[in-house]
Parts: sequence; C-alpha cells; structure tokens
Amino acid sequence: MDFKKQFKEGLLYKNPVLVQLLGMCSTLAITTSLFNGIGMGLAVTAILICSNVLISALRNFIPSQIRIAAYITIIAGFVTIVDLALQAFIPALSASLGVFIPLIVVNCIVLGRAEAFASKNTVAASAVDGLCQGIGYTCALIIVCVIRELLGKGTFGGGILNGGEGIRLIPAQFPAMQMVMPVGGFLVLGFVIAGSQKLMMHLEMKIKKKEEAK
Amino acid sequence: MKTESSAAYIARLAITLLLITAVVAAGLACVNAVTAPEIEALNVQKTQNAVEAVLPGGGEEIAFTDDSGIVSTIYKGQSGYAVEVTPAGFNGTVTMMVGVDNAGQVLGISIVNHTETAGLGAEAASQGAAGTAFRSQFAGMSGSVSVSKDGGQVDALTGATITSRAVCAGVNAALNAVSKLG
Repeated sequence: MDFKKQFKEGLLYKNPVLVQLLGMCSTLAITTSLFNGIGMGLAVTAILICSNVLISALRNFIPSQIRIAAYITIIAGFVTIVDLALQAFIPALSASLGVFIPLIVVNCIVLGRAEAFASKNTVAASAVDGLCQGIGYTCALIIVCVIRELLGKGTFGGGILNGGEGIRLIPAQFPAMQMVMPVGGFLVLGFVIAGSQKLMMHLEMKIKKKEEAK
Repeated sequence: MKTESSAAYIARLAITLLLITAVVAAGLACVNAVTAPEIEALNVQKTQNAVEAVLPGGGEEIAFTDDSGIVSTIYKGQSGYAVEVTPAGFNGTVTMMVGVDNAGQVLGISIVNHTETAGLGAEAASQGAAGTAFRSQFAGMSGSVSVSKDGGQVDALTGATITSRAVCAGVNAALNAVSKLG
C-alpha cells in the first residue's frame, strides 16, 4: 500500500472528475455555491469510504455474476443512510442539495471505485482509496464551484460565509447569470480539465528534466 | 462449486444476493428508527414557523373546499388565514404557505419545501436578497397574480420563470380558497 501514490492519483493523476470524467451529473448540477460543493464532496467521500470498505471486505464472498447488483445494493444502503442523516441533522444542506443526494447511488465514481479497486484490494487500501478519490472529487467540485459562483453571482463562499450571502467580490450588476446555469457548468468544467492537463504536463516535464540532469 | 449453470450454483447466487439485501434493509430500518422522529419533528416545526411567518400569531386548522386541487391545509387566525398550497414547480411540487388577511389581500408567503434547481428556482426559498425581494412583492396583492412575462405584476426570479409561475399559481389558489370561505 502506497499512501502517497494513492493520494497523488486521487487528487490529480487519476482524479475522478478531471481525468476519469466520472460523476459528471453532480459536478455540473450542484456546483453553484461553495456550500453545495463542500457538502456534496463530503457526502460522496463518506459514502465512498464506507462502500469501498464493505465491498472490499466482502470481495471473496460475492460471486462475480451478481457483483454489480450486490455493489449497487450496498451503495444504495449507504446513500440512504447519509440522506436520512442529513435530513434529520443538517436540514439546510439537505434542502440545498435536494435530489442530488439520493442520486449519489448512480454516481459512477462510487460504483467505479468498487469495481476497479475495492473488489481487488485489501480493506485498508480500499479505505485509503475511498478517502483519496473522495478528496479529489471534493477538490474538483470546489474549484468549479468557486469559479462559477464568482463569475455567475460575483460572490465567494455562498451558503456559508457572510450569513449565507457570500462575500461580494464583483458588484451585483456585472456577473453573468449564465455561469450558474448549465452552460456555465460545461464551460467551466472544460477549462478546469484543460488546466489540470496543463499542470500534469508541466509536472511531467519537470520530472523528465530532473532525470536527464542525473 | 460445480458448473456455473447448475441449479445449486444459481441458488447460491440468489441466496447471496438475498442475504446482502436483507442485511442492508435491516441496517436502513435501524437508521430510519433514529432519524424518522427527528425528520417528523423538523417538518412540524417548519410548518408551524411557516404559518407564523405569514400569519402573525399563528392559527388553527379549519375545514375547507378546494377545486384547484393544490390547497392542502388552511389555518385560521385572528387577522386572516394561512393557506398551505402545493403547486407544481420545475422539478416537482413546491410546498408553500400563503398568508391572506380577512379582506382577501396577501399578507406574505413562505416556502416550506421544494426541489427546485439550486441557484435558480431554489432562490425562491432562500434567505438571500433575491429570495426575500421575490417573496415580499406578493404582500398586499389580491385577486389574481401572474409574472410580468404573462402580463402580471410579479417580477420573476432570474432564470426561474417556471418556479415563479408555480409560486403565482399557489398564491392564486390560496386567494381563491379563502374567498370561498366567505
């Protein structure tokens, strides 16, 4: 188990949103304020860790013919637990994310990690994988949220800071409403993915140069 | 384990899946036992807050007749009525409370529950400037209301005409139901 490698992969090289392009539905739909991004990211991270651990623990018990049905049942169970817990204890977040919490069931990141990682690795490695992929997802959401919120509403930290209004950085008459609508989601996500590719290329070049210098 | 098509193996698959679903269902039942009363209490509190927000002093539930099909409850207080209506929004029903005074004028509106788009339709229920401004414009209106795009007097929320229309439909149904009470 290589924690550093798993962390780097989750955050950048195999980022679920920016590289694997999974979980697009939630990434495009709820990234309109910082509060939504953090809430959704943490909810998915919690579910990802739980489902990865359980699926990894049961990996020798579940026959491969019924594995997808078994995984989805387990994932749906954890999602419903999180949904009920949010409704009961954090109603503000539940109201803000609405139907996108139950929809985590069909978020491909969770099933994708179950199939690609948890079903082949130890419980501990799967827990770390869930955490790292979850952090990668959360970071990608936060980046998209901050950009869309700034360009679309002219604020930062909507839903949390300044009594839920967010801190106004651009006067109210300038922001382009389109950026918090679906079209803005696609545009911003595209640019963020391009930026992450550029960053990865840059890092790769650096490593190559280092090796050549040796 | 014999061949993959043997009856015993197929039975094993079915039993394994049954076991997993049974355990998950049992787990959910436990969680639900803890959260259900909390959620119920929150909803009761929310409804009560909504009644008091649109009708000072709150009110008692009364019987009514409804032909719009979206009026769910009417509370009668000293200064008027609080009407709970459930118009269809962009993504499902919007549950809202409309306060109507004894003269048939809107006292105020409050959104109890909704599943509108975050950042657009959901603004109707937000405590932010846009949401507050949107809701407060209904106060004092009477007769029939509609958004300015439909020739009415209500400024719709930016990017959320459907939600704004739903709120108008709710207010109309509430005004109608109260006028029938006499």
